[in-house]
Amino acid sequence: MKDLRISGVAKSFGPQRVLRGVDLAVPHGSFTAILGASGSGKTTLLRIVAGFERPDEGEVSLGDELVDDAASTFVPSERRRIGYVPQEGALFPHLSVGRNVGFGLARDAGRAARVDELLELVGLSGYRRRYPHQLSGGQQQRVALARALAIEPEIVLLDEPFSSLDASMRAAVRADVLGVLRTSGTTSILVTHDQDEALSMADQVAVLRHGVIAQLDTPSALYGRPGDAELAQFLGESNLLEGEVRDGVATTSLGRLPVGAWAGPSEGGRARVMVRPEQIALGDVATGALEGTVASYEYFGHDAVVRVRTGPDGLPDLVVRVNGWTPLPLGHRVGLIVLGSVVAWPTGPLGAASPSE
Amino acid sequence: MTGVAGTRVWPGHRRLPPLLTAAAVLVSVVVLLPLVFLVVQAVQVGWSQLHQLLFRHLTAMLVWHTVALVVVVMLLCVVVGTLAAWFVERTDLPCRRLFAILVVIPLGIPDFVVSFGWRGVFPSIGGFWAAVLVMTLAVYPLVFLPVAASLRAADPAQEEVARSLGLGRLRTFWTVTVGQARMAIFGGAILVGLVVLAEFGAFEILGYQTLTTEIYSEFQVGFNEPAACALSLILVLLGGLLLASEDTVRGRGRTSRVGAGAARPIRPVALGRARLPALAGAALLVMLALGVPVGAIIYLIIQGGNSTLPPASLLIATVNTFGYAAAAGVVATVAALPIALLSVRFPRRRVIALQRTNMLVLAVPGLVIALSFTYVTEQFLQGRFYQTSPLLVLAYAIMFFPLALVSVRAAVARSPVGLEEVGRSLGVRRRSVLWRVTLPLIAPGLGAAFALVFLETATELTATLVLHPTNVETLATQFWAYQENLSYGQAAPYAGVMVLIAAVPGYVLGRWFDRQPERATVPAASVSAVRGFELAAGKAA
Repeated sequence: MKDLRISGVAKSFGPQRVLRGVDLAVPHGSFTAILGASGSGKTTLLRIVAGFERPDEGEVSLGDELVDDAASTFVPSERRRIGYVPQEGALFPHLSVGRNVGFGLARDAGRAARVDELLELVGLSGYRRRYPHQLSGGQQQRVALARALAIEPEIVLLDEPFSSLDASMRAAVRADVLGVLRTSGTTSILVTHDQDEALSMADQVAVLRHGVIAQLDTPSALYGRPGDAELAQFLGESNLLEGEVRDGVATTSLGRLPVGAWAGPSEGGRARVMVRPEQIALGDVATGALEGTVASYEYFGHDAVVRVRTGPDGLPDLVVRVNGWTPLPLGHRVGLIVLGSVVAWPTGPLGAASPSE
Repeated sequence: MTGVAGTRVWPGHRRLPPLLTAAAVLVSVVVLLPLVFLVVQAVQVGWSQLHQLLFRHLTAMLVWHTVALVVVVMLLCVVVGTLAAWFVERTDLPCRRLFAILVVIPLGIPDFVVSFGWRGVFPSIGGFWAAVLVMTLAVYPLVFLPVAASLRAADPAQEEVARSLGLGRLRTFWTVTVGQARMAIFGGAILVGLVVLAEFGAFEILGYQTLTTEIYSEFQVGFNEPAACALSLILVLLGGLLLASEDTVRGRGRTSRVGAGAARPIRPVALGRARLPALAGAALLVMLALGVPVGAIIYLIIQGGNSTLPPASLLIATVNTFGYAAAAGVVATVAALPIALLSVRFPRRRVIALQRTNMLVLAVPGLVIALSFTYVTEQFLQGRFYQTSPLLVLAYAIMFFPLALVSVRAAVARSPVGLEEVGRSLGVRRRSVLWRVTLPLIAPGLGAAFALVFLETATELTATLVLHPTNVETLATQFWAYQENLSYGQAAPYAGVMVLIAAVPGYVLGRWFDRQPERATVPAASVSAVRGFELAAGKAA
């Protein structure tokens, strides 16, 4: 197993600059997710790593070997040993499952045994003679994974492999795939636009935005301490409040909140403060730091999202995630308390008017 | 089949692969040779003589004959083809599945056989209206097929929305239904025009003089090559105009469908009291287009049954025809492969232009190709290769190259490049991926290309008459020889075998006709053929 290093990779299609200098290191044996909105260039980045596409600038290295320097050095994809699992699997439709899995293996005595071993690994032992069109979407995806693992790749690249599956199957296939990859110990890179997928599967998540990596972190760090407000919104719902930070405490409309991450000057300053919906608890009016009325109530089964109106002065409603055991009628008055610490980003020096006012 | 979204090109490669490019350029040059030869010949004839030949009363008369025929047949085919398609696809016409098959079969019957059949039943017919009748009945399926496909593919919700917006049934039909099919109608009509321009045998039999019949007699009878050349120039120019108009219009029309939702089955329009008249009309069409020629051939065979019919020569002619058709099919299909691969995988502007120049051959009738080959072998090769099998096969392959190219291209376009990439990422080299992935995937398309060229070659008359080796007779040449002697009874068996060869696969092609709405010309016919073969091969999408 080797590390993957990407440095300064840029790529344009005509006038459109898709990647503008991407730096990313993927340690061997890890599972890294590249998360980006559609059109952010994440698939292009993956294709450059696979050798299907060449960068305009920058370098890609596998271990000690430089595989592409955007100039004379270029190792074609058939010599990179990179397993590639494209969207919707892309099984060869004219070949049986067994032949698909064995496609990259030399024709020798060991091939049949290796194919059986791989099919067992992905839980499809009896499917060797089937054809792709006889398989469900999830099964196709697992065959595609077995096919990629057959060549004992340095890295497995997964290009939105779950997006074409039904929501009901997705979680199960995801868990299966993750299990297989962990068992095989392969370095894996997953490209996705689904933050749940990225956060739940990966050891580290790289957010690709405007052609560069905006943040690279562990899932919990990324969700809990996003680098800016836009990232916060991208990774999940959040309430953004204006306030002041002084001595590690943010003063906001929700009361005085301990600041867990602060990127501004040590003396404090005006700030934008992020509070995740699940950080807010609802209770009696008397117990809350702030009171408001229920403006909407969306029930999802596993939880519910309440929008609480806290003032008449055009402030955005606060989003609160609750367990949904007791429905809240519209107009019901509630008190709000923030649990845990919050993230704040500086917007100006203390005392000065904030830009939004 | 697993669908793979996304790109079809090999974007990772900046340079065109040299071998493939060289092959594609070479093929294109060979395909364009007849046009080059025609120009060379025209230059040799010289402007003053051309001027004399072009601006004379006879030329004006021939152009008028030809253009009038082309226009009237195009219009009639549009009416007949579109109406037939609408009744078959959108109404509760009784037995419409059966009619969907029956109305397509005439496409497989060579036009000169249709004309022969009518002449056999009504010995006195001839002239302009006879030519109009015969050509309309022989080629209206060229409009029917793409229009039927586009009606089948069109979103019925658009009609429902139009009705809900207060449009009456007739206005809905006119604005929405015809609107959806307009590209298909137009494309089919252009194809009809090209076929009528190139037709020779049918008009010769009916005694109607057009550019092609005059070119043939100037050349074969009068040995007046300059005159044949001058008239060929006009013919190619007219064909070029048709192709160009097709090109301009196609750029404008777009049928679109937002979202990929599954098409609902279309609820057919209830004809009510019009059901019986519609049934009678459909039956009449099948009667005229299929019943008369086939009936006439059967009648003539039975009539001529006592006259000595040498079955050996029929067998030999059939074998020869199959040989030529198979050879032309293989040559055209293999030649189409490099251009198809290059133009789909590397769609640069220059590559697309190269691919499209090959389509110019559509405007060059077989007769003109044959004459230009004759001229070049005479002038520059001292008659070597003239009337040899290789030259005849080459002429066929060039004539029907666009059919092969479109079929192969459609197949390559539908074989996703993602599969090739996966193959390479598994450590397999590009050439090996071509053998193990690409070729198996496009095999049905190659089969369709071969079948189309085979069919067209088997029923080709004009170029065969000019270029066939003197000791090798084919079904078409034997048929023609007997027909010219007015030995209809002896000509009929040859016509019968040609109909069998052409109509049976024609039935298969029509039956599996595809659901591709916007590509409506030769493309459509052959794209559908590709689909058809795919379905037949059990790889239903």
